[in-house]
Amino acid sequence: MRALPDFRTPRWAKLTALLTTGVLLTACGSGTDGSGTGDGRPHSGGSLTFAVGSDAGCVDPQQVGSNDTIYSVRQIVDSLTDQDPSTGKIVPWLAKSWDISADTTAFTFHLRPGVTFSDGSPLTAQVVKDNFDAVPKLGLLGTLAEGYLSGVESTTVIDPLTVKVTFQQPNAQFLQATSTHSLGIESSASVKKSPQQKCSDGVIGSGPFVLKQYVQNQSITLTRRSGYAWGSSRWSKQGEAYLDQVVFKVVPEAGVRAGSLRSGQVDAIGSVGRADEAALKGGQVALQRRANPGIVFGLGFNNARPILKDARVRRAILSAVDRKQIADTVFPTGTRAATSVLAHTTPDYTDLAPDLAFDAAKAKSLLEGAGWRVGGDGIRVKDGQKLSLTIDWVPNAATNQPALELIQQQLRSVGVQVTLKQLQLPQLSPIQQSGDYDAIWGNITRADPDILRSSFSTKLANFYRVPAGGLDTTLSAQAATSDPAERSRLVAQAQQSIVRDAYNVPVVELQTQLGVSTKVHGLAFDASSRIQLHDTWIG
Amino acid sequence: MRGYVLKRLAQAVGVLWAAYTVSFLVLDYLPGDPVTAMAGAGMDSGQVDPRQIAALRHEYGFDKPVLAQYAEYLGRAVRGDFGNAVTTGRPVSSTLADALPQTLQLTATALLFAVVLGGGLAVAATYTRRRRLRQLLLSLPPLGVSVPTFWVGLLLVEAFSFRLRWFPAFGNDGPRGLVLPALTLAVPTGAQLAQVLAKSLLTALDQAYVETARAKGAGRWRVHLRHALRNASLPALTVVGLLVGQLIAGSVVVETVFSRDGLGRVTAAAVTAQDIPVVQGVVAFGALVFVTTNLVVDLIYPLLDPRIVVASGRRAGVA
Amino acid sequence: MSRSFVEDPAEAAPGLARPVGASPDPAPDPAPGRRVDVRRTLRFLVLRPGLLLSVVVLVLVAAASFRPGLFTSRDPLKGVPTQNFRGPSGAHWFGTDELGRDVFARVVHGAQLSLKATLIAVLVAFVVGGLLGVVAGFVGRWVDDVLMRFVDVLLSIPALFLSLALVTALGYGTVKVAVAVGIASVASFARVARAEVLRVRQAVFVEAARSCGSRWYSVLGRHVLPNAAGPVIVLATLDLGASILAVSALSFLGYGAPPPAPEWGTLISEGRNYLANAWWLTALPGLAIAATVLATNRVARALDGEWSRQR
Repeated sequence: MRALPDFRTPRWAKLTALLTTGVLLTACGSGTDGSGTGDGRPHSGGSLTFAVGSDAGCVDPQQVGSNDTIYSVRQIVDSLTDQDPSTGKIVPWLAKSWDISADTTAFTFHLRPGVTFSDGSPLTAQVVKDNFDAVPKLGLLGTLAEGYLSGVESTTVIDPLTVKVTFQQPNAQFLQATSTHSLGIESSASVKKSPQQKCSDGVIGSGPFVLKQYVQNQSITLTRRSGYAWGSSRWSKQGEAYLDQVVFKVVPEAGVRAGSLRSGQVDAIGSVGRADEAALKGGQVALQRRANPGIVFGLGFNNARPILKDARVRRAILSAVDRKQIADTVFPTGTRAATSVLAHTTPDYTDLAPDLAFDAAKAKSLLEGAGWRVGGDGIRVKDGQKLSLTIDWVPNAATNQPALELIQQQLRSVGVQVTLKQLQLPQLSPIQQSGDYDAIWGNITRADPDILRSSFSTKLANFYRVPAGGLDTTLSAQAATSDPAERSRLVAQAQQSIVRDAYNVPVVELQTQLGVSTKVHGLAFDASSRIQLHDTWIG
Repeated sequence: MRGYVLKRLAQAVGVLWAAYTVSFLVLDYLPGDPVTAMAGAGMDSGQVDPRQIAALRHEYGFDKPVLAQYAEYLGRAVRGDFGNAVTTGRPVSSTLADALPQTLQLTATALLFAVVLGGGLAVAATYTRRRRLRQLLLSLPPLGVSVPTFWVGLLLVEAFSFRLRWFPAFGNDGPRGLVLPALTLAVPTGAQLAQVLAKSLLTALDQAYVETARAKGAGRWRVHLRHALRNASLPALTVVGLLVGQLIAGSVVVETVFSRDGLGRVTAAAVTAQDIPVVQGVVAFGALVFVTTNLVVDLIYPLLDPRIVVASGRRAGVA
Repeated sequence: MSRSFVEDPAEAAPGLARPVGASPDPAPDPAPGRRVDVRRTLRFLVLRPGLLLSVVVLVLVAAASFRPGLFTSRDPLKGVPTQNFRGPSGAHWFGTDELGRDVFARVVHGAQLSLKATLIAVLVAFVVGGLLGVVAGFVGRWVDDVLMRFVDVLLSIPALFLSLALVTALGYGTVKVAVAVGIASVASFARVARAEVLRVRQAVFVEAARSCGSRWYSVLGRHVLPNAAGPVIVLATLDLGASILAVSALSFLGYGAPPPAPEWGTLISEGRNYLANAWWLTALPGLAIAATVLATNRVARALDGEWSRQR
């Protein structure tokens, strides 16, 4: 490992201290040992059945963006690097080391020798180049992966095991991006297929599991890759995975998932809400939780809307939301009310809790100050116009609707009328682009603060119609700097600016909660709170 | 006879064509733009290239005038090609074909349950001489047609899966997984069948030939099953076409409740995502099933009921 | 419901009413001017406790949809979040939901939305179907052929599929779902209306009116429509129950009003997420639907029987 970028700065120590949920996870994962059958020592074999809530309709890791499907496709491919979930440090995986140019425009990866894909072809620099050349052409379906490589100038093969990626401008986030499933490396044969073929037929990867069968909206079956010997440097088991087979079943209703786990029909389930915790307690089930890094769940305003152009209205809404009530009523135990626009597990997070305190009186006086007077039906009016806004949302988690109904009630009590409009996942992006919305409920998981630039910079997509200003400069500067301390300072500044101007109303952090049978061991979260199954075994 | 068969076939094809046209008209007025929706499937930010949208629009033929679109779509539909699903890009025909076996399994089992349970109920209710029992049995079918199927399904899951743990609550695994969904789907169908059958059984028992059979000394059970039921099941047969269509459509709700893969869930997903080609394929398929079942019923009907005379394509009305 | 959807055109010629399930009695004897006898009606009801109960249920549901305040003083949209997931009790008859809202209050207020949708659905089917049937039956000839072929086609698409196609085209919402359900049952209304118009047209007094030189619209308005309306109205009451089920199925599938609106089907589909810990969220609203549909069907059957017996 030659020039590991220096991510081992004191700010990471701070982050580790904040990672209480990560510690909790370890406690859950290992504390249950011995309660199952066997001698409590890891052993190979067995099949794991995992019930998830949805199917993205695609089994290509480079194109999938939703957690439920990432859980399975993540196991098929390896990435150049891996990210340690407790420290955020980038560690070797398919790349045994890398060099980064001082201005963070060029990244050179030195590949591990002896890696093969499940079709027998070897991993070479050319394969990596083929992947990175193909990703920007994934088209409309692979925007996540494309975003990571935006501004790429070229990918060049230096020797059979050395590949260099060059960008037009500084790109500090790229190293972390290489650890994501979106930039997982696929075989040359898969890269040559059309994006739609990859979606329906799956891809050939070098990962610890191989896709055996995909039945849309029903199941994804994985089998162990024999001869696997190039696991991430942070995994505990050497060589092949423990499990023979993993079956992911699609069960949309949270209640049915919980009931099936309790009655032993499945071994693990995803997206456990607060309501199911009581039902799962006491049985042979352990709950595993981890807060997702990235932008927290909240209301993304369309800042160009006439009503929302007024910062006082936005700030009033920010103060009118009782985050604690929402977190405590709807979300899994331990879910934190938002204390910044970034989740506390994101690198360079800054605690802005005082700015996000619930204060209905302040909200009312801000609205009064902005000229909105309470009308006959309790809804505020100004110049004959009602203070009414529509929140668009998608039903991809059971917690969304109750959370929004509470927000609806809370805003109603300060005189703001809210209409909830349910969209389907595929409709969300076009709506964001068209700007035909007031506010959108959502979050974005990413373990790098550059997600702020993707979301709020006016130089990129600018879905939220943020007015151009000082924020842009800050966001561009944090992407360009290679000094971690400076980047940390700039990211903190950006968070303050976004929260104080209320371009977005942060509400709660997303905490992924899984229900896992106590006979399952070593089911671990990765840095983005998705799962890694190489070290998982059934006792 | 041959003329009759040919005429029925021609009519069936005509109805199918018209059903396809109706579905095309309905879905052509769709306000949303499926191509932009497709473009946005990638969720997490990123610009959509207008050129790509134009290319997609061209690929799906949305840039052509309506009539040209219709002609092209109809031409392909005749060959069983309904284009590609907008959300997945897979051909609609193979999407439906993949989902179909699961749904056929479900509907066939449900039809079996409906016939056995509904038929048994009707026979028992008309056979018994105890007034109370008869009243109780006859009150079940109206109950069966009044309960929402999704509610019945959820109650069955709660009772037989979560509490008693007899059957799985979801999925397509084996015959055990089929029991609860098929039972759920069979409730309204069986109830309708029981209503029709009970009514015609009572009518048949009053008929002269039953009296004759009785006079000849046939036992009560024998008269009931051999003579009355045989004749009474003919009117029941005529509703089978409706019921099969209803079962296939009912799979939308039942497969959603039991998270079963199949045509119903494909349909629900397609409606939710406004995936027009898939919805169109499903509607056409529903019409095909209905038309085929009725064709078959019509063709075997004269064979079963000697009173019906098939002459020059006209059928005596029996209803 | 009739099965014969591809009947021989020769058979569809005027004068031969199609077999129609809702009016099994083909006796062409229109009985004008029936007076409602209160005492007889009461006796009729008392002799049939099931029917009486059904009438009571319907009256209660109708009252709930117009004056929900009579049944509950609780807010259906706002609850006490700390009191969520309380089981049924004296304080909360149907328990509370995930946000601590009173489920009974939600069911009571939901009656309004669900009944509104049902009435719209039946009205759409009645008006559109009735119009198609009357035009076909009264004008006859090729118009009859064309309209009835169209109705046959509508019948060949399973009702739920037709509704789903319409929802795909129209979008979500209570009214849109109602229209989709209504259009899916247009076909049976058209058939019954046509059959009745044909039946009445042949009647002696209509022939007499025509021979006296009455205009066609006066014949239609004064003689044909009033006498043909009966079975269509009976069909409408029968269709009420089916429409409640169809509307709630579509809102169960998620195509109804947006939250927090407590549509009946939506209540059950939301409750499904809490099947493992709160059975009352699905079981009790479902009971309300079942009771209403059962009552509607019972009353409709009584009306149907009454009607054919009085003729």
